[in-house]
Amino acid sequence: MTITASDIQSVSVDIEDLHLSFGDTKVLEGVNLSIPAGEFFAFLGPSGSGKSTLLRAIAGFGPRPRGSIRIGGVDIVDLPPWRRDVGMVFQSYALWPHMTVEKNVAFGLVERKLDRREIKQRVGEALELVGLTELANRRPNQLSGGQQQRVALARTVVIRPKVLLLDEPLSNLDANLRVQMRRDILNLQQQLKLTTIFVTHDQEEANTTSSRMAVLDKGVIQQVGTPVELYDTPANRFVAEFLGHANIIDGVLHKTEKGFEFIGDNGLHSSLDRTSGNETGRGMLIFRPQNAHFGTKPPEETELYSGVVEYQEFLGSSRRFAVNINGKHVLIETPHTSGDPNFCIGEQVSFYLDRENVFFLNA
Amino acid sequence: MKILLAPLLALSVVAGPALAEEKKLVVITSFPKDLTSVFEAAFEKKHPGLDVEMLNKKTTAGVKYIQETTANNTSDLFWASAPDAFEVLKGDGLLQKYDVKTTGIPEVVGSYPINDPDGTYMGFAAAGYGIMWNERYIKAKKLPVPADWSDLEQPVYHGHIGMSAPSRSGTTHLTVETLLQGEGWDKGWATWKTIAGNFKTVTERSFGVPDGVNSGQFGYGIVIDFFAFSSKASGFPVDFIYPKVTTLVPANIGIVKNAPNAVMAAEFVEFLLSNEGQELLLDPKIMRLPVRPDIYAQAPDGFPNPFKDSSIGSAVTFDVVKSKDRYNLVNSLFDVMITYRLEDLRAAVKAIQDAEAAQAGKDNAEAQQLIDEAKALVAKTPIDEATSLDKDFAAIFKKKRKKASDKIEGRQAEVEQQWDAMVQANYAKAVELANKAESM
Amino acid sequence: MTNSIPGSWGTRSAALLIFAFLLLFLVIPVSKVIFVAFQDPHSGSFTLINFVDFFNTQLFRESFLNSLYVASMSVILASIFAIPLAYFTTRFNFGGAVIIQTLGVIPLIMPPFVGAVAMQLLFGDNGSINLLLDEHFGFTIPFMQGLNGVILVESIHYFPFILINLSAALDNIDRAMEESAQNLGSYGVRLFRRIVFPLAMPGYIAGAALVFLKVFDDLGTPLLLNVNNMLAPQAYLRISSIGISDPMGYVISVILVLFSLVALWTSMLALKGRDYSTVQKGGGGLMKRDLRPWEKLGSYFVIFLILFLVLSPHIGLVLLSFGTIWSFSVLPDAYTVAHYAEVFSNDSSVRYITNTLLYAGLAAFIDVIIGTAIAYLVFRTGIKGRKVLDYMATAALAVPGVVLGIGFLRTFHEFQVPLIDKPLASWWVIIVIALAIRRLPYALRACMAALQQVSIALEEAAQNVGATRFRTVHKVVIPLMAGGILAGFITSFATAAVELSATIMLTSTEADAPLAYGIYIFMQSAAGRGPGAALGIIAVIIVGLGTYLSHKVIEHYKHAHATASNEGGQP
Repeated sequence: MTITASDIQSVSVDIEDLHLSFGDTKVLEGVNLSIPAGEFFAFLGPSGSGKSTLLRAIAGFGPRPRGSIRIGGVDIVDLPPWRRDVGMVFQSYALWPHMTVEKNVAFGLVERKLDRREIKQRVGEALELVGLTELANRRPNQLSGGQQQRVALARTVVIRPKVLLLDEPLSNLDANLRVQMRRDILNLQQQLKLTTIFVTHDQEEANTTSSRMAVLDKGVIQQVGTPVELYDTPANRFVAEFLGHANIIDGVLHKTEKGFEFIGDNGLHSSLDRTSGNETGRGMLIFRPQNAHFGTKPPEETELYSGVVEYQEFLGSSRRFAVNINGKHVLIETPHTSGDPNFCIGEQVSFYLDRENVFFLNA
Repeated sequence: MKILLAPLLALSVVAGPALAEEKKLVVITSFPKDLTSVFEAAFEKKHPGLDVEMLNKKTTAGVKYIQETTANNTSDLFWASAPDAFEVLKGDGLLQKYDVKTTGIPEVVGSYPINDPDGTYMGFAAAGYGIMWNERYIKAKKLPVPADWSDLEQPVYHGHIGMSAPSRSGTTHLTVETLLQGEGWDKGWATWKTIAGNFKTVTERSFGVPDGVNSGQFGYGIVIDFFAFSSKASGFPVDFIYPKVTTLVPANIGIVKNAPNAVMAAEFVEFLLSNEGQELLLDPKIMRLPVRPDIYAQAPDGFPNPFKDSSIGSAVTFDVVKSKDRYNLVNSLFDVMITYRLEDLRAAVKAIQDAEAAQAGKDNAEAQQLIDEAKALVAKTPIDEATSLDKDFAAIFKKKRKKASDKIEGRQAEVEQQWDAMVQANYAKAVELANKAESM
Repeated sequence: MTNSIPGSWGTRSAALLIFAFLLLFLVIPVSKVIFVAFQDPHSGSFTLINFVDFFNTQLFRESFLNSLYVASMSVILASIFAIPLAYFTTRFNFGGAVIIQTLGVIPLIMPPFVGAVAMQLLFGDNGSINLLLDEHFGFTIPFMQGLNGVILVESIHYFPFILINLSAALDNIDRAMEESAQNLGSYGVRLFRRIVFPLAMPGYIAGAALVFLKVFDDLGTPLLLNVNNMLAPQAYLRISSIGISDPMGYVISVILVLFSLVALWTSMLALKGRDYSTVQKGGGGLMKRDLRPWEKLGSYFVIFLILFLVLSPHIGLVLLSFGTIWSFSVLPDAYTVAHYAEVFSNDSSVRYITNTLLYAGLAAFIDVIIGTAIAYLVFRTGIKGRKVLDYMATAALAVPGVVLGIGFLRTFHEFQVPLIDKPLASWWVIIVIALAIRRLPYALRACMAALQQVSIALEEAAQNVGATRFRTVHKVVIPLMAGGILAGFITSFATAAVELSATIMLTSTEADAPLAYGIYIFMQSAAGRGPGAALGIIAVIIVGLGTYLSHKVIEHYKHAHATASNEGGQP
């Protein structure tokens, strides 16, 4: 294992006020982002959110954006793709069928006109890094999906790029392989200390790999932060809903003597003691399903609600119930242990909220 | 694909080709529309309700067509120039004998019999070979107007002449044969090869020659007269002369055996040969020599009259039998010596011309001898006249085995390869000798 | 790529049907004509002596080498014309890409005779360009001299085969393939040479093989340029002479067929074992790159230069059709619309046009159906002898039209078609079949290249969700092959529209005659040159318009397709 962090100079990626459109369609609007050197960063968002477009803009593909993209402090917006030194792994791997694995991996080095000995040595190292030394003379169509993925990775890191871009690299793999590949990519990244940007629509993938991530929707960055930050304190309804399940109740927040009181449009009202950032007025109350609990004896100063069970889902580690309260569902999740409560559909239940984990967002 | 299919189906309804008609006369012809449409219109006018179908095919394709469709014949008449095409059909028994009723047509035009002695096909117009040139071309290149074949041997014409191959065009064949008969076998070939040494090209189609002259691709063409007349009438800056040694050849019509409409077919023949039909030949787009002498009274000024002007086409008494016997052999010989080896021949003739120019007025006997030797090499023909008339030998080129017991010695490809080897060697040697003479 | 499934009842009967069609309309008629090649001229018994003669004859050996040389050089020159056009129009945002693609197909529609006349008037020794050169600079260039002329005209004429097939192939490459190369530092010519071109190889080879075979077997161009020392003209001259049946003509035909098959087989070997199919057709976006202003300028310059050159016969043809007299001058003396008036005043002209559309359209339709079927049988089934179909169909390329025409007359003249009571050989449908047979190889190569690029995984996916084989072909394979099938249709249609050598043998009434025949009739006389050219231009416009519309349709289809997939994928 001779490629090490010292071979690669980690650099930062800074995006400022980036706009991009396809013809009249605006795809990215005012993107600002700072990714420090060596970070594993994820772009998370649904299809059409602009996450791939943003990644491709960093690699230099697609229409020229407005704004700046600085890699290691150098603005690369006007550089063609081949001068950017950002390595990208494509969703389809894009291995060239007319070349062997070895030739595929050597490609970038040949383009850089390195001498033959060095190319051979570095290709050997890269293949070793991904554990494919034995398959060097195969053609891509003789490889499995996971092997192809590794070749694509080797082909990209062998040029020692400044930044590694991964475009949905796991989406074409089956579930088991995906988990393993995820670890492998993470290990590789940590070994190389390579600034890495990972595009995915799968929050679990983003959560498990990246140290920070940006959630995109409709071409706009919705929130940037660590996975936990984003989960616990989503900046808006979209982030809250996109990262796991969330109960979102529209209503109005009033200031009371003790603190705040939320009155939901569906009649659900709740006192809140978390005041930071909370302002009065219309907005929404947000809480995760696991932060509502069944029971008739809530802690002090906590409201008790009742509703009717509409359906339930068994999720393995937990059980999820949809409770109808005044015509609106509230999802409640309870950890699954033997003997946990099991309600019938139509059964009247009482529940209360975990006040620590309920918060209000202005609309 | 569905999108594409719909209009096609719609079209098939619109364009649904015509069904069989009751009164129809089908004429297989190689003549241009300019000619056929005039006769078609006139004849249909005479016979209301009759539909004359002019099916235009190259002579060769027309012959094949009649041959291949004989079992279920749908054609009434075969109407084309080359007598040899009629000879082929006649030989296969595909033409119907017919006695022309109309009178007043002479036996011969020039020295060629107008009608087939066996009465299977009839001449209706005469045509003769001559030299056509492009006025603009020769003016721009400051070239002279030729008067006879021998003029075309001069170095000044090098690279300016076009001609069709005799194997491609029956009338061209007759021109070649005429000169061979007029000047004798050896001298005749020598003349042809010297002229051919000045060729720009040998065209595949006979119409390629007037086309080339018209567009200025080459300056002079050895063409059949009506091509030149009609080109001139169409406004092209071209002109034409008959050399002394030429043959007037009749263009013909014959009734196909088992013609579906034999009555009308005969009517058409009579119409073609009548005064009325003959006059149509003087149409500016047609311009062919009528076979009825009295029609010439109506011809425009300067229109040649072979029945009066005995200089046209009568210098040679054309031996039809001789021509027929060695027909394919002469064609093959021309192709081997000229068509396929034009580059070599041109190089040889050019070298000789250059040598002669260099030696002009120098009186160098040795050089002159080399030049003469080179000329002799170019002129040399692989076989002599006697061989050309040897029926067994000529049979190699015919190869129409009528009976399984027919035996033919030698194969055409074998013979041609021998000729080719000899011709190539001779041309190469001639270049060598001429170059030597030039440097003396 | 071959599925080992031995072919169901349906595929097997399809194979049998095609085999019967080719046997009846290609093998039998042609055999009836060329058996002479195997006949001893002395005794009439079977022999190979004629083939010995062939190889012993220096003229034939020379002709063979000349044909080989001309075909190879034409492929090179045609590639030089086609590659930039295909690359620029498929890779960059380019105003008028569809028009450029359409204009690029026009050269295939070279009407008989008039095309050559126009070329001579422009490029001949005394053509416009040389007259100008001579006047201003005192020298001339022998563009049209001997083999050079054949190479020039053939490559101009047939380069669209490469253009069409290569463009289809380039369109089918997963864009990520190129982006990943750019990402790794490759660009420009190196990117093209190392990645783009190799990936488009099946399309290129399909096109180049067609050009090679077509040029090798073509007799029209050498004949019109009066070049005899090539194989096809040698065959033709010997077959079509009156009253001779020199077996060498047929021997050469047999050799042409055999050599074509060898060349084809070689091109298949060259592609063997390469999987070029694109799993993600259109994956990574159908985006085209924008060019910088100076790059755009340069590209347009190159494109216009090429277009000007390849369209020069048609430019000449336009001049010819409007010119009065054009003789030994740079341009015609004066201009007139009289030639068009003459064409339109002639009732036959409209019939020529409708007949041509009908015949060429039907023939091309038959071709793409058979072509797609054969391609599918070859690549997707394990039916025994499936390659034979491919070889049979391709051999048609090497059969001179006149041989096929004579063969049809000989075989079908005695067969009365029921109901219409006419011999099959003189029914207009026989012209359609002859055209279909003659142009089948074009469509076949295009269909094969297209299918080769469709990943079998996509079909398996369809079958996996329960589609039958037939429905898979119908719903998945054919839509994915659409570009290639259309390319095949266009080439077959455009070239069938101006075919003459077989049609002239088979046209039995003027009412059934197509355009090419009409042009031929005009071009028999000096006065007919203008109207012939006018009719040629009309043919070109009709076929060109058809091509343009087809391109539009396919672009529209692709666009709709792309939008649909973008909604569900990344932008």
